[in-house]
Amino acid sequence: MKRLLKEPLLHFLLLGAGLFAASSFLSTRDELPRDAIVVSAGKIEHLSALYERTWQRPPTAQELEGLINDFIREEAAYREGMAFGLDRDDTIIRRRIRQKLDFIAEDIAGLVEPSDDELAAYLETHPDDFRVDPRLTFRQVYLNPDQHGESIEADARDLLSTLGGDAAIDASSLGDRIMLEHDYRDVSMREVASLFGEQFAIAIVELDPGSWEGPIESGYGLHLVMIDERTDARLPELDEVRDQVRREWEHVRRLEMTEAFYREMLDRYEIVVEWPEPDTKERDS
Amino acid sequence: MRKVSTLGLCVTLVLATSASGQDDPTKHDEAQVSKNFQTPSYSPYAGRNFPTRVYFGDTHLHTAISGDAFGFGNKVNAEEALRFARGEEITSAGGLRVKLSRPLDFLVVADHAEAYGAMIEVYAGNPALMNDPTVKRWYGMLHAGGEQSFAAVMEMIQGVADKSIPSILLEKKFIRSIWEKHTGVVDRYNEPGQFTAFQGYEWSSHPGGNNLHRVVIMRDAADKAKQVIPFSAFDSENPEDLWKWMQAYEDKTGGSILAIPHNGNLSSGTMFSTETFRGNPLTKAYAQDRMQWEPLYEVTQIKGDGEAHPVLSPTDEFADYETWDLGNMDLSVLKTDSMLPGEYARSALKRGLKFEDRLGANPFKFGMIGSTDSHTSLATAAEENFFGKHSGKEPTADRWNHPIFDFNGLQIMGWQQAASGYAAVWATDNTREALFDAMQRKETYATTGSRMTVRFFGGWDFVPEDAASRLPADVGYRKGVPMGGDLAPIPAGSSPTFLVAALKDPYNGNLDRIQIVKGWLDKDGQTQERVYDVVWSDPDRRKPGADGKLPLVGNTVNVKKATWTNSIGAPELITVWKDPDFDAGHRAFYYARVIEIPTPRWTAYDAFRFGVTMGTEVPMTTQERAYTSPIWYTPGN
Repeated sequence: MKRLLKEPLLHFLLLGAGLFAASSFLSTRDELPRDAIVVSAGKIEHLSALYERTWQRPPTAQELEGLINDFIREEAAYREGMAFGLDRDDTIIRRRIRQKLDFIAEDIAGLVEPSDDELAAYLETHPDDFRVDPRLTFRQVYLNPDQHGESIEADARDLLSTLGGDAAIDASSLGDRIMLEHDYRDVSMREVASLFGEQFAIAIVELDPGSWEGPIESGYGLHLVMIDERTDARLPELDEVRDQVRREWEHVRRLEMTEAFYREMLDRYEIVVEWPEPDTKERDS
Repeated sequence: MRKVSTLGLCVTLVLATSASGQDDPTKHDEAQVSKNFQTPSYSPYAGRNFPTRVYFGDTHLHTAISGDAFGFGNKVNAEEALRFARGEEITSAGGLRVKLSRPLDFLVVADHAEAYGAMIEVYAGNPALMNDPTVKRWYGMLHAGGEQSFAAVMEMIQGVADKSIPSILLEKKFIRSIWEKHTGVVDRYNEPGQFTAFQGYEWSSHPGGNNLHRVVIMRDAADKAKQVIPFSAFDSENPEDLWKWMQAYEDKTGGSILAIPHNGNLSSGTMFSTETFRGNPLTKAYAQDRMQWEPLYEVTQIKGDGEAHPVLSPTDEFADYETWDLGNMDLSVLKTDSMLPGEYARSALKRGLKFEDRLGANPFKFGMIGSTDSHTSLATAAEENFFGKHSGKEPTADRWNHPIFDFNGLQIMGWQQAASGYAAVWATDNTREALFDAMQRKETYATTGSRMTVRFFGGWDFVPEDAASRLPADVGYRKGVPMGGDLAPIPAGSSPTFLVAALKDPYNGNLDRIQIVKGWLDKDGQTQERVYDVVWSDPDRRKPGADGKLPLVGNTVNVKKATWTNSIGAPELITVWKDPDFDAGHRAFYYARVIEIPTPRWTAYDAFRFGVTMGTEVPMTTQERAYTSPIWYTPGN
């Protein structure tokens, strides 16, 4: 609501200032060389095409003349308006111009086709984004806190000592039942995290293969875990992940171009931010 | 800049039962150990060709392409939405950094087909559009931002409803270019086995403000999807015309497509009407077409939960969950009780039995999923990480107290948003094909945002020992049909048995109980329903009372601090249940409803994080739940 009231007022003030500026401007105008407004053949074709898009037919000669005259007035009004700074406090114009610049920056980023070397370099410098997850083959035995209560840790240790160091022991019928598998073959760490929770996945990926370990906590309760095999995380070849690398490269490129665009632009300015004086009364209350 | 912490909190809360601190390394003998554990009865591993994993996703997410989402200030595009869903941190429209507690497995970006992407063109000031005075006015309002932007969107929503929207916004040329670009983005983010990105959109028909919206999902890649442009409510508001277009899509491309309706609760009873769109009686062909194209229903989402209504199910104490029953979508028609049977899933399933009896085909034989319908590009359904219905409802101290809808002097308030839900799909792999096929066979369930694992099988010879199995799914598939299926022909003198199991979300609350909801058609042709508590936590302590009601599970929520403990409830529940009231002559359906213990609602997290006090009308706790697709019994099948 405030904004609604404010804007016409602002416009009114600007208009007043503008008229004042205009009168002083016009009075000295005779001494200045006249600016040219050139309506090129290309521009006329463009005006004609725009008209046709709306009305589904080309303009008549008279209509075209009207369009040209209107364009001349628009151009003159635009130049004078800009010279008066009428655009400066207009939110719509400011945002639209900024948006156009943003689009240009994005378009430029989209034009560049990455070479294989560039993609390979991107892969090399962003290994974490493409690293193939560790994969685990493991078995787990579950202890349900609902059934063990306070003694759950002790029960887990008992069970662990029963299992001992024997990797061959069939533990599929030990522990409490749960709707998860007893043995998982060649699953990614991401899958483990989605099944058991992230902390569990982080904990078991660190375990030494070949012995029963634990107890390890998950969102369900406690688990004893035997890692049978672990394939460590690895960096894939470019050919395996070319599409993903390209997608990421383009994504980052777009952000970087926009960032660089603004940086270069801002470099040409000295930025002064005048913070309002802190209101001590308000701070005290 | 404000920061919203994402998870962390609940992880540390889960499993409050830890050791008493004293480690006893004394060895116990094996007899002692085995005494502490149940012994299993069954454990084969080999040759399993059924779905062993449930995949969670959102089938209904809006991005900046949707005119209303964009107008509400959402400039976050579909690419960012996909990155977010697969687990990356992005910046929301309001400038907050946001990340999911864990990735989703799949996503359908489902933007409104009506004036698809046109709002972006309006905002960009496309000169060809600016000749239209209304568009030009909206352009100004959108750029002015704030209240004006909101007003422009409200006008546009109503313009879509009463067809007064400027026709220039419906130019197929614009829509095609944006749709083509979008299908390309979706393909780039579809990674079979890792993350599935579906091609899709939303057909947004709401004649007279009565919501008949459908999300449309394709099984195919961009090469097929872009052979068409989304069929919109401007093409026709009649769902039967949408189905014709879907048939034409399959004929033209050789692809596959399905539609998922939602928000019957805002339809003035027209979602599951006893008449066709044109007011004719339903026919067998209508029923068959509807079930061919619409195997699922989106039963829970931000704009309310649609499983059951307390007026329809007065003895079901869990029926009144996140209920939105003030009126239809633009609040132009207020709710009356007579509309309710055509709005809620349970009553629709019951109606379906009646029609099947009469027509020989069931028009409402649908499975269930949940989704967000979020307009923020952020598929958030977790209470502790809820970014709201649209970009004006991102986390702020007062979002609870501002209207989310404001029409005709009536309002729905921010606190009424439900942080819900997700679609759970039992599929053999995380691919478009496997997930789509699972949706077709309705092997799905809805959750209100929690990611619990739920199995539900029906057959004739499940026995209590099956519930002790280490691998219930093996028994389930061997002896029965999964959720979404039909019971096999009845052996003489039998009653149906069900194997039902649920495992908690490792990040969320324990489980309170599993219920089986039965609906049937009695001998007088009247539909009936009953909710059975079939297994629950703390059974030693909790016994059904004289009225047959199970005592409540309790409540550990500390509302002030937005915390809870899992000292009540159970991590897992499983049982075999036999229908004690079965009559072989009665058509019936059965579905499972799983209920968690109380945990803090999103409003409690807001109140705690922003240090605000909310009105007494605002609920501060919730009991998350899951609804499975039903299993049907048909006499003489």
